[in-house]
Amino acid sequence: MFLRLVADSFTRRPRRKLLTMAALALGMAVATAALSVSLDVGDRLAQEFRSLGANLLVTPQADSLPLEIGGVDYRPANAGAYLPEADLGKLKTIFWRFNIMSFAPILDVPVDAAAMNNNAAEPLRAIGRTTLIGTWHDREVPIPDGTTYQTGIEKTNPWWHVEGKWFRDNSKDCVVGAGFANRYAVKVGDVLNVAATDKSAGMALNVVGVLTTGGPEDDAIVASLATAQQLANKPGQYRRLYVSALTKPEDAFARKDPKTMTPAEFDTWYCTPYISAIALQISEELKGTDVRVIRRVAEGEGTILTRVRTLLWLVTFAALLASALAVGASAAASVIERRTEIGLMKALGAGSGLVGVLLAAEQLLLAFVGGGIGYALGIVLARLLGERIFGFAPAPKLFVLLIILGLAALITLLGSAFPLRRASRYDPAPILRGE
Amino acid sequence: MPTTAMFWRIVRRLLTANYARLFVILLALGAGAAVTSALLNLQIDAKRRLTTEFRALGANVIVAPRDAGTDGNGATLDEAALKQLPAKHEGKPVPAVAFLYVIGEIAKAGEIHFEPAVIAGTQGYGLTEIRPGRRSEYLASLENDPSACELGAKAAAQFAVHAGDSLQLRNEGRTAACKVFAVVATGGAEDSQIFTRLGTAQSLANLPGRISLIQLSVTGTPDSLNRFIAQLGQSLPGMDVHGIKQLAEAEGRIYNRISGLLSATVILVLILTSLCVMAGMSNVAIERKNDVGLMKAIGGSVRRVVRLFLAEAILMGIVGGLVGSAIGLLLSIWLGKAVFGVAAQPRWIVYPFSVAITVIVSIASAFPLRRLASIRPASVFRGEA
Repeated sequence: MFLRLVADSFTRRPRRKLLTMAALALGMAVATAALSVSLDVGDRLAQEFRSLGANLLVTPQADSLPLEIGGVDYRPANAGAYLPEADLGKLKTIFWRFNIMSFAPILDVPVDAAAMNNNAAEPLRAIGRTTLIGTWHDREVPIPDGTTYQTGIEKTNPWWHVEGKWFRDNSKDCVVGAGFANRYAVKVGDVLNVAATDKSAGMALNVVGVLTTGGPEDDAIVASLATAQQLANKPGQYRRLYVSALTKPEDAFARKDPKTMTPAEFDTWYCTPYISAIALQISEELKGTDVRVIRRVAEGEGTILTRVRTLLWLVTFAALLASALAVGASAAASVIERRTEIGLMKALGAGSGLVGVLLAAEQLLLAFVGGGIGYALGIVLARLLGERIFGFAPAPKLFVLLIILGLAALITLLGSAFPLRRASRYDPAPILRGE
Repeated sequence: MPTTAMFWRIVRRLLTANYARLFVILLALGAGAAVTSALLNLQIDAKRRLTTEFRALGANVIVAPRDAGTDGNGATLDEAALKQLPAKHEGKPVPAVAFLYVIGEIAKAGEIHFEPAVIAGTQGYGLTEIRPGRRSEYLASLENDPSACELGAKAAAQFAVHAGDSLQLRNEGRTAACKVFAVVATGGAEDSQIFTRLGTAQSLANLPGRISLIQLSVTGTPDSLNRFIAQLGQSLPGMDVHGIKQLAEAEGRIYNRISGLLSATVILVLILTSLCVMAGMSNVAIERKNDVGLMKAIGGSVRRVVRLFLAEAILMGIVGGLVGSAIGLLLSIWLGKAVFGVAAQPRWIVYPFSVAITVIVSIASAFPLRRLASIRPASVFRGEA
């Protein structure tokens, strides 16, 4: 009889039930979307911040002081120490290898440049002294475990924009900075003759693109690392390495000196992706290097990331609260509208307890079905929002479904408890009279 | 007018007929309005806060000679340019520091082995904002000494120099001396530089009155930053004023994400609010069948009945909106503290806006009452559903 009553209430007035269910499903869809986006977006946000550029700088340990002004090293090729390019694959073997998002080695060479006409015959006009920055554009790096990893300057410095094409890493192509191109009227398709300032033999480079960075590179020539190595006569070597790593914002523990930590603390520190821990792991893997944290990027990133995460949870909480309110209200409404029925049941001798259990069973059934539909809708909504706002679709998670179903059940019960209590106090007679 | 009085009397009765329901609907509208106004206010504030946070990343505008030499000691600017800069932008001070870079040689006092290094002469205010880093050593007593200099961490390690030590500087036969008052680690190129007074660098480089470039740290949204750059470019002819793209792009991107997130939440919350009110209203529709039937039976036109219910919805919207939005604004002050560490400033423009939105939501949610228009008094009085 109990089941029949429940089944009856669903089949007799399907439209009413459908409305309540729709409200429930919509509310739960919003809750699902908010939960899945904020659960997934934390990591993505950190990646977003990597658009600020590298946060680690690797230089040779036994080095003369870099004569670096505005990002360009003015040391001649024969001064200072170098690092081997072949070791770079080891970066992807450190403990936090998956947090190494990208890296790019740099070799600056002071050069004399001259513009040539298109068929590369006689030099047309001397341009004078400038800097050639050798780096990887998009390079497949062999990793010691046998795989390869694709990385380069375009990934570490995403704000570098090239009009035209990037150079290929094995070619004699180059891109020129926008300021350089303007000043010397160099355009895509031209040929530049460049020679290291302390050598006479030059090299012809095809200009394939114009680079805008808003930095000192705007006044330089950027070419493949191999080209720079050949010009500087330093095969297989580089001077600086920029590493972009995903990190956990520094907290009080991260600021402790690792040397004063107990072994247990050190393990925790080492196995947390703090920027300082990653720096240590890189210097362990790349021998003879000095790994420094680029403070302005790392610290700015940390504070902003923490703030945005708090904001995200706050917004999730607001959305959850609003959906709880909506679901609760529609549950309450669905009980209120059945006052007559409750009155009738009581008039026929049902106790308040029985009526309560009956209605609760109905509401629970509604909550599970509505919650399930809401979850499915919410996944779609999360995809939509995730793609529009953050540029990725969050993966559906099973435990979100469990949370949503639990939440739906709890809220519908809470929402109906209040009108139910009132209903149980009603006298059947006036209700049946329609008052 | 008696009809108007009657009209409001009926509205009052409609509203007070069921306190529990009125409470639920007002709660929904109020919560919706609170969330809307809090998040909108936070959205405006986030823009301001983020730009402030991003200033922790150092200089974002550079004034350089138009034809920058690329060999380090190339083209220079007149140092008078530093005085031509605006002291404030949108009411906030603009830290600006002039730099003159010299590739010279340095050695610890008393030693004869000199090593090449970048000497940066600085003048202006706000070097710590322009060049954020951590000072590992600092002697405040020396800071105002005319020959004080600050050393990058890598340079300090190279020369085994600590705060309080003296250094000799040399460039093409010209010499100078300085006392180290601080060692600073930034992780960037500054770590291997030595920062002196501008005059010291100028006399070393034999470039009196010249500077290499000026770095500024301008607080403002990306748009206002672009305006600042354009204005400054016009007032400083012959100089190249540009923003640091690295920061501007990241800032714009992150702000767009936050703003999108907040807007999406506001829309979702408003949809849920209207859902909530709609649930209440569909109950109202059922309960009021008799009332409407009676009204129609004694000659009330459909328009008049609808006007009654609309007035009810608008009233609830206004009350819910006024109270909710006010709570939301207060809430956002606290939220601002939780998220950004600084209390958000309430923007009054948000208030009327979110009240208006709440009223619109409330009217839209009265949609179920539409059914009342089609009620036939006779069937109601017969007791038919």
